[in-house]
Amino acid sequence: MSQATATRTLTFSQAIREALAEEMKRDDRVFVWGEDVAVYGGIYGATAGLLEEFGPERVIDTPISETMIVGAAVGAAITGLRPVAELQSSGYFGIAMDELYHKVARWRYMHGGVFTVPLVIRLPEGAKGAGPEHDVSPEALFLSASGAYVVIPSDPADALGLMKSSIRDDNPVLFFEHAGLYAHRGEVPSGDHLVPLGQAAVKREGSDVTVIAWSRMVGESLRAAEQLEAEGIDVEVVDPRGLRPLDLDTILESVAKTGRVVIAHEAPKTGGAGGEVAAIIAEEALEYLESPIIRVASADVPIPQSRYLQQFLIPTAASVTEAVRRLD
Amino acid sequence: MTAISPATLLELYESMVTMKLWDQTALRLLQEGRVLAGYHSGRGQEAIPAGGVAPLRRDDYLMYAHRGFGYTIAKGMSLAAMFGDLMANTAGATGGLGAGIPHFADPELGILGQGGTLGSCFGIATGAAFSAKYRGTDQVVVCFFGDGTANRGAFHESVNAAAAWKLPVVWICENNGYAVSVPVAESTAGRIVDRAVGYGMPGVRIDGMDVTEVYRATCEAVDRARAGEGPTLIEAMCHRFRGHYEGDPQVYRTEEETERLSALDPITNLAARLVADGIATEERLGELEVGVQDTIDRAVEEASSAPMPGPERIYEGLYV
Ligand SMILES: Cc1ncc(C[n+]2csc(CCOP(=O)(O)OP(=O)(O)O)c2C)c(N)n1
Ligand SMILES: [Mg+2]
Repeated sequence: MSQATATRTLTFSQAIREALAEEMKRDDRVFVWGEDVAVYGGIYGATAGLLEEFGPERVIDTPISETMIVGAAVGAAITGLRPVAELQSSGYFGIAMDELYHKVARWRYMHGGVFTVPLVIRLPEGAKGAGPEHDVSPEALFLSASGAYVVIPSDPADALGLMKSSIRDDNPVLFFEHAGLYAHRGEVPSGDHLVPLGQAAVKREGSDVTVIAWSRMVGESLRAAEQLEAEGIDVEVVDPRGLRPLDLDTILESVAKTGRVVIAHEAPKTGGAGGEVAAIIAEEALEYLESPIIRVASADVPIPQSRYLQQFLIPTAASVTEAVRRLD
Repeated sequence: MTAISPATLLELYESMVTMKLWDQTALRLLQEGRVLAGYHSGRGQEAIPAGGVAPLRRDDYLMYAHRGFGYTIAKGMSLAAMFGDLMANTAGATGGLGAGIPHFADPELGILGQGGTLGSCFGIATGAAFSAKYRGTDQVVVCFFGDGTANRGAFHESVNAAAAWKLPVVWICENNGYAVSVPVAESTAGRIVDRAVGYGMPGVRIDGMDVTEVYRATCEAVDRARAGEGPTLIEAMCHRFRGHYEGDPQVYRTEEETERLSALDPITNLAARLVADGIATEERLGELEVGVQDTIDRAVEEASSAPMPGPERIYEGLYV
């Protein structure tokens, strides 16, 4: 979202770093921990320079102990701190799943609401040629983890504004960052740029088709929309910017306007969050639909390590274009 | 070894008596069908929560285990609130959400809650201890867990980090010889206390049936943690008098074994010592017990009068 006010150009990774630095400056309860986040600055550079700026008390290299990284973040959060913990890959979710699913999401609820759990878990996701365990996009696993927010930026401005809002929010946030986006550059508003959680962004307005996409698939869908424009198809791209809270109003408004829906995400189709979004649209807005909903997603196979093979199963702009053309 | 004052001994005794009578009362409520979930009796193991919590300040943190309610009784949690949680009504600290196996907490008392997944305590204890150090307080965390729970991988990750970072935690393992039905010897390599060596921290194995040993070992460990000298592992050897849960047929141990246990009762043994050492008369101890029962009865009465929660309760306290 470019504004009339001053902007600066940042990579996605720099935007995350900027958000962390700004919030650490603002609130000394905020600290960062994870593997290689301190001296090394994070394997994606998203914590670069924080050690020098804030010192070893607030920027902490942990052992390779994902269960502890998440569990202890909960312990710190319920005793007055605001942790930002990084899992080096969201593919390690299984090691910390009890902590993510039950502790992060439910500690407050199961104890009768006497605590808040104000933390952010940073979860790098997506295909990058690192093999089937690393290249996952596991956000849909947390659809049933009520109690935790699921936030997913798709560009540097949102990465900055959503991260800042996530750190300030008193609810726990699972923050997914697509590894393939870290190097992307984009305009970022200057000043205290906050993007409210649970508010979708209409990344492109259009009247014929609604493409609901998040993470890397937003950029792909915007490219698809440009191409389709040349063919006379006017595509609207809606980025929910996360799965919980889910901005149903914006989604349903767009569906009511266009009557045609494509849902695009990188996770495999089966078990992906597209199924949930499609089900909601079927429940809430079936009468507006002029064509069946189409999901654009990865094939239902483990993601091979070979980047060469990845091109055959990871959805791209071409997959979105092809899906839109298939609509009635 | 420093002597424990008569006043402290009496306090520890009263604390254990409260736990025992609480347990009796909970069993009665269970029989009357007024407890909506299972219950893990802590009978026989009272010395550990009593001696392990007494050295704590009000603002120190507690991660408690599922074996009885002794830990939170000792930390000063409202008895009526705990009975309310047992009966799943709105008098409970969770406002009717918890039942039986407690998942209640009291941030004012440093009671940080309990996970149903065994081993949840480890990471949270490390995090709370990190938090105390980060905020520059001298608060200490005491984390209780069973011998079976000590075999979770989370133990290694959290105990290692706490030791590497010299965090103020006291790890207290209650080794009652069983995880439900499985004897320690069949599931566990080496002695749990010896793991302390691997993490470069002090470890002590003590008689967990003797509240004075538990109290002394915990005082030392708490002092060390408060002074910034890092964590300690205490392995308290003990016996569980009843089944793992109420209704446990206990096919894994002989009647002979359970019958021998009553001679080890930490409460009657301390009572005998108090009388023999002239610290209290039998009469005084009897009066103390009557007073405690009265307090418990009043708490049950208070809790019993509260209504059950309405259906709206399920949506409360999820998000801020
Ligand atoms: C991760 C996990 N595995 C299994 C269980 C089921 N369970 C509850 S209590 C228990 C035994 C625990 O043994 P121990 O830690 O020695 O404590 P004790 O019951 O003897 O006090 C088991 C297996 C559980 N709650 N969580
Ligand atoms: Mg045991």
